[in-house]
Amino acid sequence: MSTHAQTRPAPGLWERIRGNESWSIGDRIGVGLAWGAGLLLCAIAAAIVLYMLVRGLQYLSFSDVFSHPLPGLGETGGGFLDPILGTFVVAMLGTVIAGPLGVSIAVWLTEYARPAWLARAVESGVEIVAGTPSIVLAIFGLIVFQQSFFSFLSPTGEGATPLGRSFIVAGAMMSLIALPLVVGATREALHSIPRHVREASYALGKDRASTIRRVLLPASRRGIGTGVTLGMGRIIGDTAIVFILLGATLRFEPNGGLPGWDLLTGNGSTLTTYVFHNSPAGEGGQPEKAYAAAFVLLAIVLALNFAVDMITRGRGKSWTH
Amino acid sequence: MTKAAPAEGQPGDRTDQRTELVLGALSAAVLLLIAFMIVFVFTKAWPSFSHNGLAWFGGGGNVDEQLTNIFNSPADPGDYVYTLHAWPLLYSTALITGGAVLIGTALSLLSAMFIVEFAPPWLAKVLQPVIRLLAAVPSVIYGLIALLVLVPFVGNDLISGDEKESVQFVIQLDGTGLIVGVLVLTVMISPIMIAIVTDALRSVPRGWTEGAAALGVNRFRALRTVGLRAARPAIVAAAVLATARALGEAIMLSMVSGSHAFAPNPLDGVTFFFEPALTFAAAIVDHADELSVTPSGQTIYAFAAVLLISSAFLSFAGWVARRSMRKYTLAAR
Amino acid sequence: MTKRTRLLSVLAAAALTLSAAIPAMAAAKPTITMSGSTSVAPLVSLLAKKYLSVCGHCVNFKLLQGGSDIGVADAAAGRVTIGNSSRDPKPSDPGGLVFTKIARDAVCIVTNTANPLPTIDQAGVQAIFGGGVRTWSSVPGATQRGTIDIYVRTPGSGTQDAFQRIFMGATRVFGGASPKTSNGLIQQLVTSDEAGIGYVSLYFTNGLHAVPYQGVPCTLRNAKSGQYGGSRNFYMVTRGAPKGAAKAWIKWITHTSTAASIVGTDWVPLH
Repeated sequence: MSTHAQTRPAPGLWERIRGNESWSIGDRIGVGLAWGAGLLLCAIAAAIVLYMLVRGLQYLSFSDVFSHPLPGLGETGGGFLDPILGTFVVAMLGTVIAGPLGVSIAVWLTEYARPAWLARAVESGVEIVAGTPSIVLAIFGLIVFQQSFFSFLSPTGEGATPLGRSFIVAGAMMSLIALPLVVGATREALHSIPRHVREASYALGKDRASTIRRVLLPASRRGIGTGVTLGMGRIIGDTAIVFILLGATLRFEPNGGLPGWDLLTGNGSTLTTYVFHNSPAGEGGQPEKAYAAAFVLLAIVLALNFAVDMITRGRGKSWTH
Repeated sequence: MTKAAPAEGQPGDRTDQRTELVLGALSAAVLLLIAFMIVFVFTKAWPSFSHNGLAWFGGGGNVDEQLTNIFNSPADPGDYVYTLHAWPLLYSTALITGGAVLIGTALSLLSAMFIVEFAPPWLAKVLQPVIRLLAAVPSVIYGLIALLVLVPFVGNDLISGDEKESVQFVIQLDGTGLIVGVLVLTVMISPIMIAIVTDALRSVPRGWTEGAAALGVNRFRALRTVGLRAARPAIVAAAVLATARALGEAIMLSMVSGSHAFAPNPLDGVTFFFEPALTFAAAIVDHADELSVTPSGQTIYAFAAVLLISSAFLSFAGWVARRSMRKYTLAAR
Repeated sequence: MTKRTRLLSVLAAAALTLSAAIPAMAAAKPTITMSGSTSVAPLVSLLAKKYLSVCGHCVNFKLLQGGSDIGVADAAAGRVTIGNSSRDPKPSDPGGLVFTKIARDAVCIVTNTANPLPTIDQAGVQAIFGGGVRTWSSVPGATQRGTIDIYVRTPGSGTQDAFQRIFMGATRVFGGASPKTSNGLIQQLVTSDEAGIGYVSLYFTNGLHAVPYQGVPCTLRNAKSGQYGGSRNFYMVTRGAPKGAAKAWIKWITHTSTAASIVGTDWVPLH
């Protein structure tokens, strides 16, 4: 751009031109508003974090994290060990289902995608799921899992009608929330692998399945990891599905006698519903417990986000020499 | 997308076919599940629509009362009550979603311009994690803080006794209402928009904005006329995404926007902002207990059906808008 | 491939053992699931705790809430073993249900302690809760001025049914009142709102001023003696006559003196 011997660095350009600028009142107001918007965002974020920090530390006690909630909704006292474990159970279930499923769909969409109309339909389907409100997914889950065909997945009363609410049911619907994120991240990762890598693998005599398994997927690990962690974060933060599909109890209520399976098909709560039920919107009159649990929840979500940052910040594999 | 196939007749052919079949079947299965979801929700919702016809979307009567009557229907299926005129819900959803998206878009555009152009480098760096933080906070925590801090503030300090009295024969004001719902929802949907618009603004070729600068345009105007214009498809995409998010927000709104299916009346003046409003998503949460009674359940699924149609319509509208703006996309993309 | 076959065979063996274990596990303790009224829930919690210690943890209890109508609907659909109801059977209830009375309870009109109404009669209740009178200044004996904040229960609540039947009669509750989902919530809200008024089960009147109804204070003694006009029944609802573990549980509640003494702490026992 410059014909001088010395090159002008881009930032300097603005400084040099500023002398010739004409700032109308409208433009000045615009800049002022832009500043205001930026500072407002910082202020809101700081307010939320600080307030949660103050209230959370004020009300959080070590015993809370490790004691069980009292069984009656509306009683005071007790801790939230069950909700914390419940959060992990639901997150694990959702991720275990969404991870492999999402990667499979993403691989099929990028590497195969035949017939073309099916590929487009699957793409649209995943987009629809991404756009569906989680509350709609929740009540859809109720329809599906209250059919007697699924009675083994949730507590079933004597009338052989399944309650339709259990950890497995909630985990299954939660996986739908994480699915678009995993699919999107994996597809991006697979797309970013240049063609010559695949062609080199084929030239060496490997078929497509082995190429995917041995070359492409390991190379996309970071992208898949990002997607899965993002999905896990969204699952942990979601309340609507747990609210509808996990039953209105605060503790673990196992279903049946089989160890492990009884927990998964039983009812319980997660940190999100615990916070909801103890807030003025729910049953409990314990805002202090709500604050403490919200603090723990926020810490977990932020830690997950930080993990995503760490994953994406790592040096990417370079495909060129 | 590479689809280079291995040479035919290789020993890996069958594994290849099997893998393709398995993966394809999985994808098709998920597609079927999604199709089922749509079909099931509409099947369950149909009785509510068929009994009301187009009046379902009309006004008339108190929605809360109508929902109570539906819930108290006699046990005989032939006598189920379905009467519902859901206009207040439709209106509230439009108000809250529209309000949040409008304010949010303005806020996001300004913030994005700030981050890209006017912020000192250290502040721009700080703002990135700030945006991500705001996006990561779960909706129940937004609801908790709003309920325990904003709502009492509005209820005790902002709503005057006179305002309460002016509507006292119609509705009760207690702090939960339109303004708190819209404000918190705006904060919730802005981070997504800011991230997308910042990315788009950043990828405007510098030559374009520098060209404007060379013509004597100041930074703000250059950004406004060149940058924002070039980023229009991204802005539309961001707005569509944000609207979808706002439509689907159920928990936070059920906590703070008031549990009355009431149509806030703009003719009430300032009180308009304090009146309760209930969106479809929040209505589902509030009445989730009633799912076990058949006609109530069908009405609630009707709400879900409306939400599904709206999301589908939104995606379609966004797609159309982005296509029509394709001529404005950056040639570099 | 051999490694994979080995892995698969181990998994298959594990699955087989587990499936053999299922019938053994299934013969474990019976579970009694209950859902429904938030008024009955505290009583049922206390009774359940005592029953477990008396019978040596012979059953598993699961207590959900949601309101009397939800309990009745759940019991009718077979989703729970017992539905707790704090209202009488209605003609709109599904058929085949058996309502077993377990206790009686009082519904109190409550206001904030800063606004101790000396008394209220039925006309007064209907005027206030029906929306006819909206300012405290029009209510005799009120120390508050300004708009009345009415708190009521959601349609699925048995307490709401009882309130409607006993106090309101044919007058409809004001449509602008805030519907809340539990006794606990009403208690909480009226405690923090000086201009508030609501109705709760007797058990939930801590920290509130219970307004005497037609001159009779809302206390346990007056409820037991029958003097207080606002009493209603607690029921356990089952699909058909109670069977098995549920039958033993309900029999214990209705026939033993231990259960009666627990009921007598805050509710009105039947014998």
